[in-house]
Amino acid sequence: MDNDQADMNTALMVDGNAVAGQLEQIFGRDMTMAIARCAGCARDAQMGALMAFIRGPGIVLRCPACQNAIARIVETPSATYLEARGAAYLRMAPQA
Amino acid sequence: MAGLISRGFLGRRRPAEVENRLPPGQYLVTDFPVLSAGPTPHTPLDRWSFTIEGLVQSPVTWSWEEFQKLPTQTYTIDISCVTKWTKLDTKWLAVSVDTLLQAVQVDPAGRYVMAYSDGGYTTNLPLDEMVNGQAFVAYQFDDKPLEPVHGGPARLVVPHLYFWKSAKWIRGLRVVERNQPGFWESLGYHIHGDPWKEERYSGD
Amino acid sequence: MVQPVLEWQAGRVTAIRPETRQTKSFSFALPKWMAHRPGQHYDVRLTAPDGYQTQRSYSIASPPERLGEIELTVERIPDGEVSPYLHDVLMPGDQLELRGPIGGYFVWEVSLGGPLLLVGGGSGVVPLMAMLRHRAAQHSTLPARILYSSRSAEDVIYRDELDGMAAADPTFEPFYTFTRQPPAGWTGYRRRIDATMLAEVMRPFDRRARVYVCGPTLLVEAVANALVQMELPIEQIRTERFGPTGA
Ligand SMILES: Cc1cc2nc3c(=O)[nH]c(=O)nc-3n(C[C@H](O)[C@H](O)[C@H](O)COP(=O)(O)OP(=O)(O)OC[C@H]3O[C@@H](n4cnc5c(N)ncnc54)[C@H](O)[C@@H]3O)c2cc1C
Ligand SMILES: [Zn+2]
Repeated sequence: MDNDQADMNTALMVDGNAVAGQLEQIFGRDMTMAIARCAGCARDAQMGALMAFIRGPGIVLRCPACQNAIARIVETPSATYLEARGAAYLRMAPQA
Repeated sequence: MAGLISRGFLGRRRPAEVENRLPPGQYLVTDFPVLSAGPTPHTPLDRWSFTIEGLVQSPVTWSWEEFQKLPTQTYTIDISCVTKWTKLDTKWLAVSVDTLLQAVQVDPAGRYVMAYSDGGYTTNLPLDEMVNGQAFVAYQFDDKPLEPVHGGPARLVVPHLYFWKSAKWIRGLRVVERNQPGFWESLGYHIHGDPWKEERYSGD
Repeated sequence: MVQPVLEWQAGRVTAIRPETRQTKSFSFALPKWMAHRPGQHYDVRLTAPDGYQTQRSYSIASPPERLGEIELTVERIPDGEVSPYLHDVLMPGDQLELRGPIGGYFVWEVSLGGPLLLVGGGSGVVPLMAMLRHRAAQHSTLPARILYSSRSAEDVIYRDELDGMAAADPTFEPFYTFTRQPPAGWTGYRRRIDATMLAEVMRPFDRRARVYVCGPTLLVEAVANALVQMELPIEQIRTERFGPTGA
């Protein structure tokens, strides 16, 4: 049970960078270099470096330090939902 | 979301032999996909407990050891995930929610349940759909201890609703008065989630 | 400059080339081609006649210096949904829906400087190759090394090209490690990437290296943990986890 090899749930995890396409579709710009401040532990991480869980009903982005859910994205046939209660803020540089 | 049809891509299958057992829009799988929304919690059994709280006369908490002594039943049921796969004839060893509720006295105002798990996951259910053999807390799958990736040590299973309602890593049920959306229900998913009515998204 | 909206477009397969037993490279002509940054990826979407859809990400293997086209290199995962379709069904002339280039996080270009340490496992070498091809196309002499883990000699993608680059460029050096079946007479590494191996390959770069780690999630986890234990500043480490690509 402690065998990481057997933990498909860990093996399915990717980086926030893997959902760059979904984020760009929502924000109209690359968000992977934007900073997310975790509302749970107040630490900063680039969105591309968040823990991303993409094989479920939706996408969950988590803080790499405390695993708090920073943001969730659900795409239904009629709408895209973005919830980011777990972020104190997102900070992005002006677009080049 | 319409897309260019990919030549020769057949997608997934609905074999004719089991067609009538597959809810609309579902496809048959024979493996057991892992639905992931976060890291696998690894709560040691000596720190695991299961609680029924909220609108009850007095809350009850079982340790792992105590939980193992509760009467169990085996269930063979089909499961349907909102991500479109259905798995037939899954076999579980579990404690029925009826058995658990016998240990408390539910306040008449309590009409819904919020199931909660290690890792912060929650899902909401109507209380009257948790009783009379409709829901159980399982700790064995296929005659083996339930693996952590599939929700072990114990998960809720509510076979007649989409599988996101069957909370992995379950730690308790909170009896409540009003139907408050849980983790996925609060973000576009259906508040109820009946696969035969294809209640996938809010508004369906 | 206003960025164009990210849209799905139909790429046309112009060439398919086998790389190893389990990997093939696919070239696509794109109606709305845009120069990418090395390390970026495209999303691929498949649609069945009944409307069922599924999508995956694939890193760009080609350098931005190759105009009008992109190349993806895909490993065939036997029980997978998308990669077997790409390998077994897709043919030159077919159209495939693509969205990209995307992702500004796992990117290296010459202007970011070096020295550069690339660490890859299996198909994780793909975006690293885009970085190396770009570096070569720019005639950069920023010191670069790649530590590349494969199961066996037959599984090494781009072997000839990597060795060719090294022969032509004293500032670049590849290091291979084999986890199952090294080539006959192999005297190099024959184990999973670990902290000792990383320290050896990184030594000439001191602690200044920019490190890019890519491959199956469990490999990236192990390498990233080792790098953090070695106290390499976290800002210098970039990871790209591919998910469960090694069954
Ligand atoms: C940013 C990014 C870039 C990538 N670049 C490349 C690249 O350049 N080249 C490349 O070859 N790959 C790349 N990948 C990986 C690629 O996106 C696919 O994941 C890979 O091709 C496998 O897809 P598949 O549909 O063939 O297999 P899948 O159907 O996804 O299955 C893969 C394996 O995981 C298992 N599996 C999948 N889902 C579950 C589940 N829910 N529960 C249990 N088991 C499961 C399957 O059984 C199988 O063994 C990249 C991934 C990312 C995130
Ligand atoms: Zn945090």
